[in-house]
Amino acid sequence: MNMLALTNVKKGFGEKQVLRDVTFSVPEHSIFGFVGKNGAGKTTAMKLILGLLSCDGGEISVNGMTVCYGNTKTNRFVGYLPDVPEFYPYMTPREYLRFCGEISGMKAGEIKTRSEELLALVGLENENRRMRGFSRGMKQRLGIAQALLGRPKLLICDEPTSALDPAGRKEILDILAKAREQTTVLFSTHILSDVEHICDRIAFLHEGKIVCKGLLKEVRAKRKDTAVELELERPEDAPLLLTAFSDLKTTGRGRFLFENAGRLPELFSFLADSRISVLRIERREASLEDLFMEVVGK
Amino acid sequence: MMAFLKKEWMELCRSGRLLVLLFLFSLFGIMNPALAKLTPWLIEALSESLAQAGIAAVSVTVDAMSSWTQFYKNIPLGMVLFILLCGGSFTTEYQKGTLIPVVTRGLSRRKIVMAKSLLLFALWTVMYWLCFGITFGYNAYFWDNGIADNLYFAAALTWLFGVWITAFFLFFSAAAHSSTQALTATGAIVMGVYLLSMFPKFGRFLPIKLMDGMSLLQGAASYEDYSVSIAAAVFLIFLCIIAAVIFFERKRL
Repeated sequence: MNMLALTNVKKGFGEKQVLRDVTFSVPEHSIFGFVGKNGAGKTTAMKLILGLLSCDGGEISVNGMTVCYGNTKTNRFVGYLPDVPEFYPYMTPREYLRFCGEISGMKAGEIKTRSEELLALVGLENENRRMRGFSRGMKQRLGIAQALLGRPKLLICDEPTSALDPAGRKEILDILAKAREQTTVLFSTHILSDVEHICDRIAFLHEGKIVCKGLLKEVRAKRKDTAVELELERPEDAPLLLTAFSDLKTTGRGRFLFENAGRLPELFSFLADSRISVLRIERREASLEDLFMEVVGK
Repeated sequence: MMAFLKKEWMELCRSGRLLVLLFLFSLFGIMNPALAKLTPWLIEALSESLAQAGIAAVSVTVDAMSSWTQFYKNIPLGMVLFILLCGGSFTTEYQKGTLIPVVTRGLSRRKIVMAKSLLLFALWTVMYWLCFGITFGYNAYFWDNGIADNLYFAAALTWLFGVWITAFFLFFSAAAHSSTQALTATGAIVMGVYLLSMFPKFGRFLPIKLMDGMSLLQGAASYEDYSVSIAAAVFLIFLCIIAAVIFFERKRL
């Protein structure tokens, strides 16, 4: 079942059309990576899902219910982590979680056990200070705890890792991966390695449209055949090799890129027959980075 | 809504605003009789230089009335400070985005406006009557409050005027994006009403008349003179609150 579905969603601010036609869906218990350049409209799309902005066209549904602008009922299924989470600086993390729980009508006992559980999950269980002076990473972690408090069916994270150092990023990604057991995760990012780490599905947003979407492995497979990098021990052998294989691309002294995967066996037998010694043969993985560059047309 | 009220209260206490307000309004309360008490002494001290300047200083008698005059002179400043100190109630939350988790958690926007309004009105009420109470106490101790007519009614009118300003401020806070905008707009409304009140034709209808408590105290005005302006103020207060809710419902957070 789809936890979230966007159908032909459009949104503009004045003259600027931010989302032209966005359609994608997120199945239950998946981690969905929503990828796009800065300013592509990721945050706008997320605010539409939360009913914080009104759609100019199209429909959004969460857990089968249609989202409407303002006080939308669908938000009780959703936990949201804003890109820059801000809290009341005069509260401690526990007080803040209690405040959030009380607003959503949770029982006092449940708030207490759930808060402890989540503070332990995000590693803030020993933090009894007020939040004034919390680092960005700490706020981000408390933001996740806050978003997960009501056991949401859908967790929406807006660029949760963008402003963090590598250690902080890994922590957040680990937490998100753990959260998957309990919920469905939609997270936006422009850091592709994060997507490769934890997502099983992705969608690329570019110029207001979804230009590419699907299972991570499917999307990867769309990329042209993988290439092989080849490095010779003696660069002097290069001319001999080039006469036989004119489609070899020279990338350096004695280094080549071979993109014609079908002729690989031929290449290997030629190397063996001509007794050309090889330093390195390596299959080059198509990275999402390349794919992203390809779809955005750069 | 209780949870949100609790949060507002915590904000008020922990940000130190409550203490500052308590201090300021107590100070105002003490200052009114103190200034009245000091006036004869001041005039005496200055009498020599005044005499040299050609002004004959006569001995002045002070009574509760002088203290109440001070009260009505000083309370507008109290209102200004009150609004300034509470200026960020809504707009800081817009700017920092702290209301987004609250709204996405399903607390209705109407309840947010209601909680904030309730707290501001209650705060104004407590501060105002604290100031009044202190002045009243000193006056009763030094002099006799009996010489002032309609003492409570006049005080209630000024309190109502404060509620009126607070209501406008609430509306502008719900509509505007920054506290500067909300404060400027509130200031502009008060200025506008002041200017309008200079025309005797309008004066009777405008809430600004509520500030004229001294006429009541001196017995120069009666209850009926204020009925129209009371009605106008109450009407506007309700209008502002309703408009604040409507604007806030559509607000982009």
